[in-house]
Amino acid sequence: MKNLKILLIGQPNVGKSSLFNVLVGPKVVVSNYPGTTVEVAQTEKIFGNTKIMFEDTPGIYSISDRSEEEKVTERALFEEEADGAIIIADANSLERSLYMVLQILEAEIPTIIALNFVEEAEKRGIKIDCEKLEKLLNIPVVPINLLTKKWVNKLVDAILKTCPERSRRIKEVARRDFKIEYDDHIERAISKISTQANGRLPKRFVALRVLEEDEDFYKYLKNEKVIGDAKENLKEHPKVAEDICITRYGTASFIAEKVTQIIPLGKEKKLGAKIDRILLHKTWGPLTTSLFLLAIFGILLYLGNLIQGVLMSLTESLLFSLGVAEHSIITIILVQGLTGLAIGVSIALPYVFLFYLLFGLLEDIGLLSRFIVNAERFLKKIGLPGKSFIPLALGLGCTVPATRATRVLSSKKEQFHTASLLAFVPCSSRIAIIMGIVGFYEGIQLAFSVFATLLVAGLIWAFGIKKFIHIKSEPLLLELPPYRRPLIKNVLAKSWIRMKDFVYIVIPLLALGGIAYGILKILGLTNIIVEPLSPIAIWLGLPAVTLIPLVFGFLQKDLTGAMLISVLGSKISLALTPIQIYTFGIAATIGIPCIIALGMLIKEFGFKKAIGLTITSIIYGLLFAGLLWRIISFF
Amino acid sequence: MTKESDILKIVKEDILEVVGRKNKRTPLKFMKLEVTVSHSFVSKAIKELEEEGLIKISSEKRPWKEYIQLTKEGQVRANAIIKKHSVLEKYFFKERRSEEEAIEATNILEHYISTEVIDTIKKLSTFKKEGIPLTEFKQEEGLIANINLNIGLFERVISMGIYPGEKIRITDKIPNGIIIEIKNKKFVLDNNIAKEIKVLEYEKS
Repeated sequence: MKNLKILLIGQPNVGKSSLFNVLVGPKVVVSNYPGTTVEVAQTEKIFGNTKIMFEDTPGIYSISDRSEEEKVTERALFEEEADGAIIIADANSLERSLYMVLQILEAEIPTIIALNFVEEAEKRGIKIDCEKLEKLLNIPVVPINLLTKKWVNKLVDAILKTCPERSRRIKEVARRDFKIEYDDHIERAISKISTQANGRLPKRFVALRVLEEDEDFYKYLKNEKVIGDAKENLKEHPKVAEDICITRYGTASFIAEKVTQIIPLGKEKKLGAKIDRILLHKTWGPLTTSLFLLAIFGILLYLGNLIQGVLMSLTESLLFSLGVAEHSIITIILVQGLTGLAIGVSIALPYVFLFYLLFGLLEDIGLLSRFIVNAERFLKKIGLPGKSFIPLALGLGCTVPATRATRVLSSKKEQFHTASLLAFVPCSSRIAIIMGIVGFYEGIQLAFSVFATLLVAGLIWAFGIKKFIHIKSEPLLLELPPYRRPLIKNVLAKSWIRMKDFVYIVIPLLALGGIAYGILKILGLTNIIVEPLSPIAIWLGLPAVTLIPLVFGFLQKDLTGAMLISVLGSKISLALTPIQIYTFGIAATIGIPCIIALGMLIKEFGFKKAIGLTITSIIYGLLFAGLLWRIISFF
Repeated sequence: MTKESDILKIVKEDILEVVGRKNKRTPLKFMKLEVTVSHSFVSKAIKELEEEGLIKISSEKRPWKEYIQLTKEGQVRANAIIKKHSVLEKYFFKERRSEEEAIEATNILEHYISTEVIDTIKKLSTFKKEGIPLTEFKQEEGLIANINLNIGLFERVISMGIYPGEKIRITDKIPNGIIIEIKNKKFVLDNNIAKEIKVLEYEKS
């Protein structure tokens, strides 16, 4: 059997992930916002006697490695060696897609163009001559329509015909495809540098990347001195990298012009423009954005509560039937584990899933990128790029996937700064603590003042970081996609992908956290561990026993409420004053929330940084809570 | 304010000058890159030049290999333009301090100097080849003349389709940036990026 690895490459919003879904089934995030697929998704499928591994890549505009997303694609293309690439082109703006096609042809990778939005473009009076394009570039062009499947065979045929196996490729692909001719002086520099190129990548391609100032490609040179030599001759043209870029785009648009026929139409009515007038207005924009977010929050609390009530009573009766069994140590531990799991599932699952569903809808309609623009005005002030809105908002669901989502940001520093702010974005479990303890025993106003306190604490933290660490954040540069009717299938698929981290990592660990707590309790260790920490209780003005839920909540956040009840009895409002409940709420919710989030931080940023952040954020939270109740009781 | 017919005239003379200087046939594609205005202007200019019998288009088998060649008459015209250019350049080198300024002034003036000089100099005050920063641009539509960003941002902007020579429409200005439309695609640009994108005014004839 033949094996092929084919990459799917395209701009954001071009239908890459939808194409992937049609080819191999719903296994990847589909999105109307740039930057949802940051990791590469892979799936295999067998066609005849060939096994094709398809890889979906993040939406990009060019393959140069200027952002994290582009780096992912660049790695997939050159370091892991792909056998071919399908470039999903947008018939509405062909030249833009061709820019990337030309770049990949320069790398001498077999390429197929899948032309999407053909009908949409024709409605706008743009008609593309696929045969002519095929002839010009000498690569297959397959028009696709993601609502049907008629084109799939044609596309697969094209892959099988165009992409030879790796062993045969080198000879065969010394290729006949279209090549850009650059200005004479650039061509001279290219041939000079290619003499020094080393390794399996095409020499001309390496030379071009080097001239484009991509330092990752210097390692493919035998001698880096050649760069200086080549540039010596380019003194009259100091902006070589820019010239290459311009020529490439110019060639792309020249080819696009050759194959595109534009039939002038009357001016279409633009509802989208009117909506944008409001959504991006200097006052209405931020206002509608916050209203939307508040509405989501409201729906979440309301529906989440409803579902949670049903699930809780179900699991409680289940646990009860288990609990009456014999009282061996093993069953106690088992029951503790199941309790951890059940509470986790019934509290977190409905919130998290609902939240990601609503968020996915916002994305696919096209609202999210408008919200990002509005949020950027504010985020810029605390030193964050607009895109950090995505992980921060996802943090309202669960901190673990949100930490992973910081990858949409282009530098590690920005990613870490954003991740550190997740200490102040209440996830579903922390919302449950605030609403279920503070709100339940002392009323909704006090619960909201806890939310407000989190916001203030987070702002102080963010300004502090901005003051001491200079992070150069990326300026706002974003395409605003047209508003589209969301495909429910896509939204569901996407919510599921985001949930995956939660279901496969968080939920099992919730059970483990429960078991760990159970063992410690049976061994009578909980008090012993907590005892040396009693000064913290004094600082917080809380009874020492409340440290048990505070400390062991780190193992399983959703158990915090249950633990508090078990140490204080169910009449919490008698045991604690309102100020004490408020202080407890703050101490329990500021900081990296749980051991699972810590694990994800370690995975993304390394052990040292993750531990450092977790400890600092928790100490900060405790300091903040202690100071605050002192200030409040002073008045 | 520059009218479309003015731009067309400038583009036509620029084409003759470029081909004349190269003194050989010039790839059509190269021409489209050399002149920083919309490709449709270049196409139109080339078509008119061909109709006036000043240039010939020769193509080889492959359609992207079209060349421009000057006819005899075209060569005469091109020489005149080149001469005019060098005379002006000399004059401005004496008058102005920086080389750049001189070349810039020459590039613009050469198109007008044979007509009513004073009138055109008045026009020139609003028509700089460099263009006006997008942030200060007052019209709704313009042509992108020049983009001046570091290579990382430059390539990103270009590959998104924000390209010298394209028609740009300013849809809205918001507190943290500018919303623009290019070829039916909508973008939001930070003001710091927008101010490095230079735009030319133009008016449909």
